[in-house]
Amino acid sequence: MTISFKQVCGTVIAVTSFCAVPLGEAFADETCNSPYTSRLIKGQEQFLHVWTLGVKGIGDGSDKLVTVDSDPVSKTYGKVIHTLSVGGRGEAHHMGFTDDRKYLWAGRLDDNKIFVFDVGSDPAKPKLVNTIKDFEQKTTYVGPHTFYALPGRMMVQALSNAKDHGGATGIAVYNNQGKLVSTHDMPKGMKDIGGGDGYGYDIGINPQKNAMLTSSFTGWTNYMMDLGTLIKDGSAMKNFGSTMTMWDLKAMKPTKVFEVPGAPLEIRWSLSGSDNWAITATALTSKLWLVKQDATGQWQAKDVATIGDPAKIPLPVDISITADGKGLWVNTFMDGKTRYFDLSNPEAPKQTYEKVTGKQVNMVSQSWDGKRVYITSSLLANWDKKGADDEQALRAYGWDGKELKQVFEVDFYKLKLGRAHHMKFSARSGSTASLGAPERVAVATR
Amino acid sequence: MMRWRGAVGGLLALVASVPLAHAQLQAQAPRQDFVAPAPGSYALPPIQSAADGWVLEGNWLPRRLSRYTHGALTLLSFVYTYCSDPIGCPLAYATFDTVKHRVLADPALRGRVRLVSLSFDPGNDTPAAMRVYGGDNARNTELPWHFLTTYSTARLKPILDDFGQDVEVELDASGAPGRVRTHMLKVFLLDRQGRVREIYSTAFLHPDVILNDMRTLALESTRQTPDTPRPPTR
Repeated sequence: MTISFKQVCGTVIAVTSFCAVPLGEAFADETCNSPYTSRLIKGQEQFLHVWTLGVKGIGDGSDKLVTVDSDPVSKTYGKVIHTLSVGGRGEAHHMGFTDDRKYLWAGRLDDNKIFVFDVGSDPAKPKLVNTIKDFEQKTTYVGPHTFYALPGRMMVQALSNAKDHGGATGIAVYNNQGKLVSTHDMPKGMKDIGGGDGYGYDIGINPQKNAMLTSSFTGWTNYMMDLGTLIKDGSAMKNFGSTMTMWDLKAMKPTKVFEVPGAPLEIRWSLSGSDNWAITATALTSKLWLVKQDATGQWQAKDVATIGDPAKIPLPVDISITADGKGLWVNTFMDGKTRYFDLSNPEAPKQTYEKVTGKQVNMVSQSWDGKRVYITSSLLANWDKKGADDEQALRAYGWDGKELKQVFEVDFYKLKLGRAHHMKFSARSGSTASLGAPERVAVATR
Repeated sequence: MMRWRGAVGGLLALVASVPLAHAQLQAQAPRQDFVAPAPGSYALPPIQSAADGWVLEGNWLPRRLSRYTHGALTLLSFVYTYCSDPIGCPLAYATFDTVKHRVLADPALRGRVRLVSLSFDPGNDTPAAMRVYGGDNARNTELPWHFLTTYSTARLKPILDDFGQDVEVELDASGAPGRVRTHMLKVFLLDRQGRVREIYSTAFLHPDVILNDMRTLALESTRQTPDTPRPPTR
């Protein structure tokens, strides 16, 4: 008897007693993390960790990890309960849990530093336990973007390279102790598998298929440029990724390159049953693309839906798939909209809902049960809007299947925190203790 | 004192082994919808060094763990005898059993592989209890399968930490630590130099892949001294 990818994840989630705990577990918004990350939060997430860009003249001006209480029964619900400044501003961007969900790796796209936070000991008070400062020197890559757990390791998808700061880049694999294990260049000009532009952005893995899918964005020169300047620069606008790549995960070898124009960004595999497809959104062309096996088992990519009016460049920047693979949240940065697509037929997604959730919106994360949706505002320091449109916030919503209803907001400028970017959920264990821990420490305190 | 611990532990293990046998039958392998890449067609870069420490096998004579992690291709996992989660320890046991039979049938691997199961719970899993847990596999010398434990949690914890193996203890209603361990299932493949070359968790635990990984490492070392599992000595 065998169990599927979803069943594996699902069982780990359900964790009644033995393999994991009925608390913290994987999937960023809980449906999008590495399938190798344990301890999914199937119930109520208690904390949101927000990787926040420091802004000169606001508070201490430093990048920081901001922890917000997201437990409705808590006295500090909806409030910032902890901040941890890491020093300097280096374009804080994305984060990812280690396989045991005890550590959170967070990257900066400009100075290439990677910070490792202990969020397992006390998720209400993360601690900085390691800083990797030689990412560029050791890998020749620039812009550590996606952090995706493998057993005992962390894959780091970069955006750029040290040689020309363009989009050619690769994937670095570290062990959980922070030591570099291997590097893997993105495919470029490999005619036998469909070409490749060398660009990278996100990683998505389907273990039962031994399939790793990657997407492509742009290099340091572009993502550090002022957005208004960039859009007017025809030459620079050509330097965006237009491919996705399927890899043999075990061998870490690219097997097929798909032409997906317009910077395909986040990748989400369906976690439902034996589904054999993943979906992504293209930032510049405003499309949803499906990557799916055909009847002969060959992977194919196709454009399956339009997001808003592509002529207005709504800029879809993040997506969040429901646990059953039937729905997809899409945030479009420019018009500040959060849109819901019915994915019942992934070959023909249909938008069924939209709401303006901010003047600019970037990340969208949902709880495993889909009842709570969280939005943040910052895309990149130099791409965020200016003046009054540059609001920076975390907003939490309830979702009843019909309407997003805001339940709290954290104004990151008012609190002098900075620009709110990537979110991750965590929760305390109320029913376990560390091996060998004194009994008084073991008792749940919350 | 040792005799008392051994006797009680063995009894507990015997009791625990009854539901375990059923649990092992319930073990569910992760679905594999692909053909494992051919041996030698890919690399397995060293991930980390194997941890070391003092362990016990069969009696209370301390032995270095390094004797069980060097000199042969080693598949190692942490277990506890009364774990009954079908995607936890029983899955590790069932996978090891499958690997054992397939290694014995493969001339390229036979005589070059050992298996190691190391307990999460030295309090309950005494050397005698682990031997009972191992059953015929603990006595069969055709392919060495070592069922190890440690003196104490204090001896075990550094080994777990060095391997990066998480484990927590479930609390009872009063908040006191109970018997049940919660952990990620991780299986470590070590080369003959004692370096971790692959780590498998539940979603990744495909026997076809494990065997081809072993063959890949065997191909690496064909130019070197043949891997021969040595009987552990102190």
